[in-house]
Amino acid sequence: MAKSLADHTAELREHLARVRDGRAGGSEAARAKHTDRGKLLVRDRVDRLLDPGSPFLELSALAGFGMYGRPGDDFAVPSAGIVTGIGRVAGREVMVIANDATVKGGTYYPLTVKKHLRAQAVAAENRLPCIALVDSGGAFLPMQDDVFPDREHFGRIFFNQAQMSARGVPQVAAVMGSCTAGGAYVPAMSDETVIVKDQGTIFLGGPPLVKAATGEVVTAEELGGGDVHARTSGVVDHLANDDAHALDIVRGIVGTFERPSARSIEAAPVEEPVDDPSDLYDIVPADTRTPYDVRDVIRRVVDGSQMQEFKALYGETLVCAFARIHGYPVGIVANNGILFSESALKGAHFIELCNQRGIPLVFLQNISGFMVGKEYENRGIAKDGAKLVTAVACSVVPKFTVVIGGSFGAGNYGMCGRAYDPRFLWMWPNARISVMGGEQAASVLATVRSDLETEEQVEAFKAPIREQYETQGSAYYSTARLWDDGIIDPVDTRRVLGMALATSANAPIPAPSYGVFRM
Amino acid sequence: MSEQTTTVLVANRGEIALRVFRTAQAMGLRTVAIHTDVDADAPHVLAADVAVAVPSYLDVDAVVAAARQVGADVVHPGYGFLSERASFAAALAGAGIALAGPSASVMEQMGRKDAAREVATAAGVPVVPSYGIDDDPTTFAYPVMVKAAAGGGGKGMRVVRGAADFAEAAAAAGREAASSFGDDTLLVEKYVESGRHLEVQVMADTHGTVLHLWERDCSTQRRHQKVLEEAPAPTIDEATRTRLTQSAVDLAHEVGYVGAGTVEFLLDNATGEFYFLEMNTRLQVEHPVTEAITGLDLVELQLRVAAGEHLSMSQSEVRRDGWAIEARVYAEDAFGGFLPQAGTASHVSWPEAVRVDHALFSGQSVSTSYDPMLGKVIASGSDREAARSALVDALDETVVLGLTTNTGFLRALAASDEFRDCRIDTAWLDVHEVAPPPVEDARALAAWVQSVAWLESTTGPFAPDGFRIAGSPTALRVGLDEDVRVDPQGSTVGGRALRRPSLHEVDGIVRIEASLEGRRVVGHVRLLRSGGAEVVLEGQRFLLRPLDPTAGAAAGLDDGRVVAPMPGTVLDVRVAEGAEVAEGDVLGTIEAMKMELSLRAPRSGRVSTIGARAGQQVPLGAVLFEVEVEGDSASAEAAAHLA
Repeated sequence: MAKSLADHTAELREHLARVRDGRAGGSEAARAKHTDRGKLLVRDRVDRLLDPGSPFLELSALAGFGMYGRPGDDFAVPSAGIVTGIGRVAGREVMVIANDATVKGGTYYPLTVKKHLRAQAVAAENRLPCIALVDSGGAFLPMQDDVFPDREHFGRIFFNQAQMSARGVPQVAAVMGSCTAGGAYVPAMSDETVIVKDQGTIFLGGPPLVKAATGEVVTAEELGGGDVHARTSGVVDHLANDDAHALDIVRGIVGTFERPSARSIEAAPVEEPVDDPSDLYDIVPADTRTPYDVRDVIRRVVDGSQMQEFKALYGETLVCAFARIHGYPVGIVANNGILFSESALKGAHFIELCNQRGIPLVFLQNISGFMVGKEYENRGIAKDGAKLVTAVACSVVPKFTVVIGGSFGAGNYGMCGRAYDPRFLWMWPNARISVMGGEQAASVLATVRSDLETEEQVEAFKAPIREQYETQGSAYYSTARLWDDGIIDPVDTRRVLGMALATSANAPIPAPSYGVFRM
Repeated sequence: MSEQTTTVLVANRGEIALRVFRTAQAMGLRTVAIHTDVDADAPHVLAADVAVAVPSYLDVDAVVAAARQVGADVVHPGYGFLSERASFAAALAGAGIALAGPSASVMEQMGRKDAAREVATAAGVPVVPSYGIDDDPTTFAYPVMVKAAAGGGGKGMRVVRGAADFAEAAAAAGREAASSFGDDTLLVEKYVESGRHLEVQVMADTHGTVLHLWERDCSTQRRHQKVLEEAPAPTIDEATRTRLTQSAVDLAHEVGYVGAGTVEFLLDNATGEFYFLEMNTRLQVEHPVTEAITGLDLVELQLRVAAGEHLSMSQSEVRRDGWAIEARVYAEDAFGGFLPQAGTASHVSWPEAVRVDHALFSGQSVSTSYDPMLGKVIASGSDREAARSALVDALDETVVLGLTTNTGFLRALAASDEFRDCRIDTAWLDVHEVAPPPVEDARALAAWVQSVAWLESTTGPFAPDGFRIAGSPTALRVGLDEDVRVDPQGSTVGGRALRRPSLHEVDGIVRIEASLEGRRVVGHVRLLRSGGAEVVLEGQRFLLRPLDPTAGAAAGLDDGRVVAPMPGTVLDVRVAEGAEVAEGDVLGTIEAMKMELSLRAPRSGRVSTIGARAGQQVPLGAVLFEVEVEGDSASAEAAAHLA
């Protein structure tokens, strides 16, 4: 019996609640030790930083899910030890990047690095000031080969800070705990920095390393405490009494930033959907193979449940429609069946229209792939698919992808998968993602094997492949590895897209240009 | 009104001047105000037809000259200032200008305690029993009060409860009197442990008619300053009322009184006896409560009597209907030692459902130059409870921002069980304290108003509703003097249930009425642009502002050290090691760069180290003082080292 969408969502909420209220990882003892020192827990820091009541578009809250721990321990490094997301400070959207010191001392696992870099990429793309709340012991040393040396590793964090600062995207850090070794560059590379006295420390080498290197015996506070950096070294600009004070100072700093000039996308007055979004739980069938009309989903996401369809009668397996979400104009591209040449051509045309008009694109992905078979190949479905992929790849308007069902094969490309740089990509909890279905993959692999003779042998060969695809195709497997920006409650789709649209309006939209469309 | 009266000059300011003008204008009279320089734009000046500048409201010659200059037929003195100054009455009489008040000789007689007591005795009005200092103490009715004849301020006063203690107490009082006043003459009077202040309003014309307009009870007073006044008196029976009012009429007859006057009595709660205290030869601040129950306009009667008219009613026609209570609104911080307050009343709104006599409008500045009374709120009803609850409601709607008033104190008093049950005697406020409305409630209302403002001001996907993906929304944190968490969905503030809120905004002030944990609360909130709020809750003003995070006071410099801010010379060291100091105390001074700077204690505590002596040259950053806190916890309270 397949799980219903409501069941999937209940499971998601449970996982998120565990991460948020700290029942996951970051042991009770670690949390108590943290709060006993007068430090706020990481999500309390974020709440305290943001404008009162500000929504928080948290990114990849389940990063690291099922990784780094013993089998069955899904929460060994909850949220990959770092909280990232977008909220409002002093009335403007900012990217918050906050270490969770209760998780392995806030050290950087490979996915911690990936998540930090992803947050920076989102910030850079949407011109969001970055607020780092630093409380980290630096790289997780046992995994240094996956953390330190490569292009997309630890060093990239500081490269990004320099690059963003150069482009006028402000960088602020509040040092609320350790900030050691490479980590010391987060505050040092920031435009303006706060430290909490008797709590924050910044040094390139901690006391043990100093002793080992030079024999000098020194306390952490003498080496790089708040007093030292605020009064003597000048590494920081503000000395705070405690976490709350530091966050107030950061809020003040953000208040001095230049206001972004005109928004690149103008919002009309907001109209709530007429059709109740909570109907989504009933609209989407439990069995992914059962077809349904994606327009019923669109109506529960867009303003007034109203859309203006483009080429409604042509290439019907791809629904293209203009609509508004939280007042922002959008062009929606939604799968309503398998992709044929006509649907691909229609999609490419529609994407060109949106780019021409400066209208952001929303992809609602539920695709098992492009049609296969002699007739279709001979008629050039590959080149028509390529046109769609070209249009998506060269698109300059903000793109947002929500995987509401399957995301398989080349359909993933044509529908703006992760590789196509959507500003954000979210999964519904029921979503599946893999290069093809498990059964198909097992069959293909079985076919190329010459040594399988009996039915039993074939089945024995195929079973583990099916199982592998089953595991790796889940939304949790995806979100753990940051193939997406998080799994969302389907009912929140409209709100999440609205926040993403508002966020994207901070960055200008360049003029469109395309590669060669193979005709 | 006699035909020759056309112009009235009011020798006063503030609410009473406005009060007199209101009646005078209704009577078709031309109105003249006088004013000092600071009052040039005061409300009473704007309300009058003509205004004349005087150097002082107490300058008899100038006021009489002003009356002459404008051709005034009658001068109304209001209360205070020259209202009981016999020389003023005489000067006006000399100038042929009528005074709304009695003659100079009556003023003079009633103004002197001994003379007034003689008049009362002659009229058969009971006075406080007194004894000769040399009489036999065993014949006195105790308790008695021994007091200096020249005394005042509680000095040279002793309460004696039995004959055995008399000699010793009298000797002590005599010594105190001699040293304080240079005169050891003592008086012995009956001491009233618990008394009520009763007073009778009389009105007399120049034709020998004297009427009483019933009595008032002004027992709710603080250091002889009346706070709440009501009519009629709630604790006396009809027989007492008859004797009381008749005594006042007899006294007025005896002295040949003309105009409005008030005869004050002290009622002994132990015996039910009352005694004459003094007579005020003017209109009283609390006259509106009498107007409320009689339906008469006392100012009109004063002006008619001054013009020589007959009082046109008989005693039996002076009615007494319902109940009225007045509360005096002062510019004083009743919960902060009753300190006088000055400043600009940035917003003022008075209740609309009751009578308010006031002279305070939005934007007006209040100085300490004159009486701190801002206005009077007078509520009436069919009975005492109706009047009292109307007063409480009215004080809830009395909103003064920018300046602290005693309204919260008045409201708390009026709502108290003690006032309800008439248990407040004249000494009660000198020994009891009244609790202000809880600041938590003020915070709760301000936080709610702020949340609503935020939710209304920001729509769209980033509306401040605390949205979290697939999770419960977070509470809103409202930064006031403390952080308050508001959960709009759960309808709680700081964890307390706030139900059925009703908000109404006028001119940037939000009136909020809600049920807070089942109790009805009413507040007025102004949100401050820079954060925080100014709240008036049940009449009490609260300024709830967050600290400025980067300002010196919060900048984390609370290690107790005072360091040299620049190289310089220590001029002065004012404390010794071990001295207890309060935050902000000056510990010493330093001269640097031609500036003299005070070195202040960064926190309260004990001076543990002194690193400087006077005349010493010190380098930048030299530790000059260290202040240690008991148990030296890293207190969050901090202050700038220098001021």
